[in-house]
Amino acid sequence: MPIIASEPTAERGRKDARRHREKQRDAIKERLPEIIADESIITHKKGKVVKVPIRSIDIPHFKPKTGDEQSGIGQGSGKPGDVIGQKRLPNGEPGEAGQEPGEDYIETEIPIEELIEMMLEDLGLPKLEEKEMQNITIELGWKIAGLGKAGIWPLLDKRATAREGIRRFWYFIRALESETGQDELTCFRALKQSNGVLADALEVVKTNSVTDQSESVEPFPIFTNEDLRYRQIKEDTQEQSRAVVVAMMDVSGSMGDMKKYLARSMIFWLVEFLRRLYVQVEVRFIIHHTVAKIVPEEDFFRTVESGGTFCYTAYEKASGLVDSEYPTDGWNVYVWHFSDGDDFDRDKTVGELNKLIAKGVNMVGYGEIDPDERGSSAHGLWSAFKDGLGLEEKTVNDMDILVGPDTLPFLGVRIEEREDILPALKTFLKKDRWAQ
Amino acid sequence: MTKKELERLAELEKRTKEIAVEFGLLTTDILFEVVPAQRVLEGMSYMFPVNFSHWSFGRNYEKNRTIYEHTGHGIPYEQVWNFDIPRAFLVETNPFALNALIVAHVYGHVDFFLASRYCQHGRTMSYVAEEAHNAATRFAKYEEKYGKRVVEKVIDAGMSVMWHQNPDPFFEEQDEEEVREQLLAFERAKLERFKDIKSEFRKPETKQEIEKIEHRLEWLSSKTPPEPTYDILKYITAKSPKPLKPWMVDVLTVLRNQARALSPNMRTKMLNEGWATYWHVRIMRRLFEEGALTPEEHGIFNDFHSGVTEERKISFNWYRIGLSVLENVEERWNKGQFGREYDEERSHAKRLSWDTAANLGKQKIFEIRSHYTDRMAVEELFTDEFIHEQQLYFWIGINDGDSIVYVVAEDDPAVIRQEIKSMMTTYGTPIIRVGDGNYEGNSHLYLKHVFNGYDLDSRYRDHTLANILYLWGRKVYLETVIDGKDALVSCEFEKKQPKIKIKQ
Repeated sequence: MPIIASEPTAERGRKDARRHREKQRDAIKERLPEIIADESIITHKKGKVVKVPIRSIDIPHFKPKTGDEQSGIGQGSGKPGDVIGQKRLPNGEPGEAGQEPGEDYIETEIPIEELIEMMLEDLGLPKLEEKEMQNITIELGWKIAGLGKAGIWPLLDKRATAREGIRRFWYFIRALESETGQDELTCFRALKQSNGVLADALEVVKTNSVTDQSESVEPFPIFTNEDLRYRQIKEDTQEQSRAVVVAMMDVSGSMGDMKKYLARSMIFWLVEFLRRLYVQVEVRFIIHHTVAKIVPEEDFFRTVESGGTFCYTAYEKASGLVDSEYPTDGWNVYVWHFSDGDDFDRDKTVGELNKLIAKGVNMVGYGEIDPDERGSSAHGLWSAFKDGLGLEEKTVNDMDILVGPDTLPFLGVRIEEREDILPALKTFLKKDRWAQ
Repeated sequence: MTKKELERLAELEKRTKEIAVEFGLLTTDILFEVVPAQRVLEGMSYMFPVNFSHWSFGRNYEKNRTIYEHTGHGIPYEQVWNFDIPRAFLVETNPFALNALIVAHVYGHVDFFLASRYCQHGRTMSYVAEEAHNAATRFAKYEEKYGKRVVEKVIDAGMSVMWHQNPDPFFEEQDEEEVREQLLAFERAKLERFKDIKSEFRKPETKQEIEKIEHRLEWLSSKTPPEPTYDILKYITAKSPKPLKPWMVDVLTVLRNQARALSPNMRTKMLNEGWATYWHVRIMRRLFEEGALTPEEHGIFNDFHSGVTEERKISFNWYRIGLSVLENVEERWNKGQFGREYDEERSHAKRLSWDTAANLGKQKIFEIRSHYTDRMAVEELFTDEFIHEQQLYFWIGINDGDSIVYVVAEDDPAVIRQEIKSMMTTYGTPIIRVGDGNYEGNSHLYLKHVFNGYDLDSRYRDHTLANILYLWGRKVYLETVIDGKDALVSCEFEKKQPKIKIKQ
């Protein structure tokens, strides 16, 4: 039997492997709430990639329960009790350790950008309006814009190129006819015989050495580099009004580590979202206890303070920013505030909030951080906003929210645990809220 | 591979065949294909040289490719299919000596394919490979027509149960009606015997007995399946009340046939690999002695050979252990170390020096390759002495929080034998039978787990039931044992989502 060199076949493995990765990605999506709640993401530097351990996906089948330990047969010198090997587990293994023994873990690295991409679907700033000065640019990705003669191979427009090739074929036939005075079929035979090279075909006709026996003219495309047509791509953008987000965080004594972590996570992701979504959006940071101050971003995520709480000071500060730097006739203004709701002067805070809304800001968002699940404590800012603004508390997807009507763009969200971060973010960035 | 090398390899292949025949191996025409590594990796990952597209194959491919590209190991040692004309792959970038080794190794496998009664059975289904090729095209059309995700879902669901077959590899699945007729005929014959007894002598017990049989006859005439069946996929394909569309039936039938064609080989993996390794050593030695291979090439061969047969601390090296058991048996049968007298000899020293010059080693190993499964080989040939000599042990992996520590747990030969045996019994697939396809008179599917001491993994169990539900369309039950207690697990659609309930 011969040994033969095999015919090349199309590679299927890679294509099917892509589908497997897609399925893994879906699995990651399902676990996004716990992945993005990972504290190490916000404490590390930006541009970091997140390591996510994921199981390789298996076809479910009936199989014996293997117990809590892996086991098997091995070979070599060793008495019972001898250690014969060790394998490190991936960090941050989700769920109960050892629940799925013997499974392969693949630790995948995902850039934060991509995580955001997965969370992004349909998110955006609510109630974004056309303001006088239009300069927020939204990136819509890339679009195909016409054809050109240069480009990269994957963008080759095969149909258009083929059309050019056929056009050249007929052009050559006509040229041969007029040059030699022979009929179309002869010219075709010559052209076919010389593989579409015009000069050769001319020679063939002139020397009367046509050997091709074709009985009819069957056009075939002839390409020169000039005939290749590539799709041209262009960045697709859209101009929109400019926007500013004022992020405010309570750093008073009552804000314990867990509360601060939840608040920072929320703001971190909100800011990351916006920067991803809009090329130009300004973000200003305010921290407050009994007094409020504007701080740079780096300090905002690090500051440790203590003391009592006057939330109104933050709202005052925000109002000041709007007046001096971001007048609402030229800016879309979003004010987001995170606190545990302990406030020494709630009435005044409600008053300042009303003033801010009266200035025509697009939205005031309030996240009450409540890891101890005290619920609607009568003393908290939550109930003050609820009563003061005359709002109704609703539960959407297991999450307590307060939403004002179109005339009162206020949104309150209660955040109790890590798993609430993603749904809370989605509530904050619901694009069509207050849309008429 | 250069043209010259290809010619030389062809020469070597011719000579290899002659040597194989001389050694008493059965041979036939073998098609060797020189291919890029990618083809071999695909072959390893897709079960057949060309098969339909599925993400699980892609996952295997990526894994194999990663191992291959990053370590250069895990290179498919050989890739040979038990077809009418056996077909083998040679990687074009392999060193020449490795390809020569693979040719020799493949001749070992081909003899095994031709002689082993189990692989012979597999060969009767070698058309399945051709079918796999066509299925690839057909399935792609289904994807176009019905949507990628739907086709994928049906393949996923079919794969979930494809390995559930009758544990007897030679069992020919019968038509349901034939089985029913046989069972009915049996009951009728019983009835005849009772009716023959003259009526005046009939005792009340006899009357009861007759009623019982008549009742059973009635029950049998409508019962489906008439007798519990192991072949879950076949039953679903034929009887699903969903109902399945023709293309779904096609997909499931292809899956079932593939599993049936491959399983005979899976029962003899250790012996087959051991056998091929045993012969490649001898063939390569001969080729070297004849000068067909240079000393340098023989050195390269030795490197690869020892890599493949290395001792592995935490996994079962089929090549090494398969080879060792054959060599051990050959030596024992040559020295007459078998039979009652030897078995009853208690003196270790006497046993060790036992030699009756019986010289039956070759005969015995040829007999093993023709008639044994791996499980039979373990039961009979993995003696205490062999297990000790091979330093086999049973290990466990202890999870200490941030790593798994592997520890030798047991070196008692009885435990190890049992462990290897259960590993090789129906290759780890629990035995589950279809008990009733019209349970509760409502077309519900009732499955019975034949309990052998091991609970089912609950996460896998529930997802598998959901997949069966997808194919069956109506409620699915599984009778099993959970934590020592009988349990009935059910799966049905609630708000279009599969919902699992457990009754104990």
